Amino acid sequence: MTALATAPEKQAAPAQAGVNRRRYPARFVVLIVLLILLLIVVAPLLVVALNAVKSPSDYASNGPLSIPKSLHWDGIVDFWQRVDFSRKLLNSFITSAAVSVLAVILSVLNAYALGIGRVRGRVWFLVFFLVANLLPQEVLVYPLYYLSKSLHLYDSLLSIIIIFTVIQSAFGTYLLSSVYAEFPTELLDAAAVDGAGRFRTLWRVVVPVSKPTLAVLFTFFFIWTWNEFFLPLVFLVANAHQTVPVALGVLQGEKQMDATTTSASALIGILPAILFFLLFQRTLTRGITAGAIK
Amino acid sequence: MVRSRSILAAGALLLAASLGLTACGDSGSGDEGADAKTLTLWHYEGPTSAMGVAWAKAIELFKASHPGVEVKFEGKGFEQIQQNAGMILNSDSAPDILEYNKGNATAGLLSKQGLLTDLTEESEKRGWDKKLSPSLQTTTKYDGDGIMGSGKTFGVPNYGEYVMVYYNKDLFTKHKVAVPTTLAEFESAMDTFVKAGVTPLSVGGAEYPAQQIFYELALAKADRAFVDDYQLYKNKVNFQGPELTFGAQTFADWVKKGYIAKNSAGIKAEDMGVAFTQGKFPIMISGSWWYGRFASEIKNFPWGTFLFPGNTLHPGSSGNLWVVPTKSKAKKLAYDFIDITMRPEVQNLLGNNGGVPVAADAAAITDPKNKELIDNFAKISSSDGLAFYPDWPAPGYYDVMVGGVQGLINGSKTPQQMLDEVAKPYQDNLTDLGR
Repeated sequence: MTALATAPEKQAAPAQAGVNRRRYPARFVVLIVLLILLLIVVAPLLVVALNAVKSPSDYASNGPLSIPKSLHWDGIVDFWQRVDFSRKLLNSFITSAAVSVLAVILSVLNAYALGIGRVRGRVWFLVFFLVANLLPQEVLVYPLYYLSKSLHLYDSLLSIIIIFTVIQSAFGTYLLSSVYAEFPTELLDAAAVDGAGRFRTLWRVVVPVSKPTLAVLFTFFFIWTWNEFFLPLVFLVANAHQTVPVALGVLQGEKQMDATTTSASALIGILPAILFFLLFQRTLTRGITAGAIK
Repeated sequence: MVRSRSILAAGALLLAASLGLTACGDSGSGDEGADAKTLTLWHYEGPTSAMGVAWAKAIELFKASHPGVEVKFEGKGFEQIQQNAGMILNSDSAPDILEYNKGNATAGLLSKQGLLTDLTEESEKRGWDKKLSPSLQTTTKYDGDGIMGSGKTFGVPNYGEYVMVYYNKDLFTKHKVAVPTTLAEFESAMDTFVKAGVTPLSVGGAEYPAQQIFYELALAKADRAFVDDYQLYKNKVNFQGPELTFGAQTFADWVKKGYIAKNSAGIKAEDMGVAFTQGKFPIMISGSWWYGRFASEIKNFPWGTFLFPGNTLHPGSSGNLWVVPTKSKAKKLAYDFIDITMRPEVQNLLGNNGGVPVAADAAAITDPKNKELIDNFAKISSSDGLAFYPDWPAPGYYDVMVGGVQGLINGSKTPQQMLDEVAKPYQDNLTDLGR
């Protein structure tokens, strides 16, 4: 969520700077405030990073906020081997990638019908999707458990892929429908005049034009699915099927927690999501500004 | 599109694999799985903890005595098993044997739902029941309502746990305090520290430690009948009776006298332990689960333990249980494995790694510190002194207790109010049970 918090700030900075170019002190104050905010956002990550490379006895005698005496990589290495982390990375990548691709496709199809196709009762469809989106996952657990069990999908990645494709596309449909409702009719009319059918219009006109928005959805779906904990915890039983966040849970004992190894695992657990965010950061910022079609 | 096609293929493969697995699973049941060739085993102890070390040895011994049987061990997270055991054990992904939490809300509930195998017969045949003292056996037996203490045996514990007093020997010497043997001596020892400007007790009020101190104090005035009433619902418990009143009143006095810091209401158990490790407090009252960790992490001062002065009853119980799911496909192998974990060589290993074995040979425990730990446990266990934990009697009672004791620490509740507050959910639970 740090990603979400920093993105608007970055947006705000240049605008502020433009207004205050002549008034130097005001600009300076804004900068300080932003730096403090940044520090607050980054501080937990720093603490995690500090403790990830601290030896357990160093942690025990100097506490969580001290600077590590020496770099201690054993926590990370031990954790990696103990939970077979490469496998978990692969599992997480497969589910997140599959979910974000499938959910974007599903959202586009739904939104095309609701936003551009303007099917009868679309408002109620949207309300339905919104409610589906607001349901806490705890409510869904038992029905999904029995369904997946009777389909022999319990304890498989496929169950998680299906579930999250539906959950994410509920949000995607809601968002895209309102974007498509504003879709310039001139473009649609032109396509119709040129003899494009419904599918062709979708594929050749609507999708290319709304690509930035779709890219944003894809990125969000990927990160959200990557960070999901509760349903994967319930549905992925065998260690070989588990995803990264579930693997991190292994370290939480009944009465004991291993602070340094937990930090180490947290650090390598969030790195992929951060990496992914950095890679797609430009799509995200572009997508936010280009969300509505001009 | 290329990527999504390969994902579809992967999905199809997974589907095929899961179908294949369930197909194999259906055969071979009915004869207790004597000819099973794999044993799927789960537990959630860290690999370097006493249990982790001992059980790794048990798996080794099992492999040696069962050539041709593959052991599929998976280390699980406590949270995953705690939250989902019901769902997992009711599915084809259930393991053949697993470690599971003792108590009404956990093992009791699953036994009531028919998800656990009745081990009564095996336990008698293989003599596990003879190795466990009566207060240890309490947590292995559950009746038809899933309430512990009587009925069939559904689990076997390998280790025990109990609450004791950890103390910093350097600080005791520095302030010329002797190890107390009565509650009065204990309080005057703490007075000495307070006078010297040192807060005596490291307490984690945001989690389990504070309520265990409250319960320990109540036990100072209690007998076995009170424990049976409170934990096993034998008779009605009077929350304004002498035991709990003494517990709450004394706890409040301890806060007032400065034995317990006001800010400890927000301290987590982990931070309590770290503060003691750093030598910031001379005394910490908590469970044997800290022992192994202190042994390896406290480097700057000598430390020791003693039983809570004056008490014959102490918070404590058997450790978690080995249970065999009803859906286990290798029950016979699972029984063999439990049998191995009760052998002296595994039990002694547990003891020598800072755990509290239930059936160790005391002479084989070499480390003097571990010997002290195990001898103290033997003392409690043989005198039937395990009083379980204050949050056991009702589901969700843990949070009620945390809230109640926090009220005592920050002074927002009088002992009277606190007892009334914790009495209500307890009585509600009894009503729900129809007792």
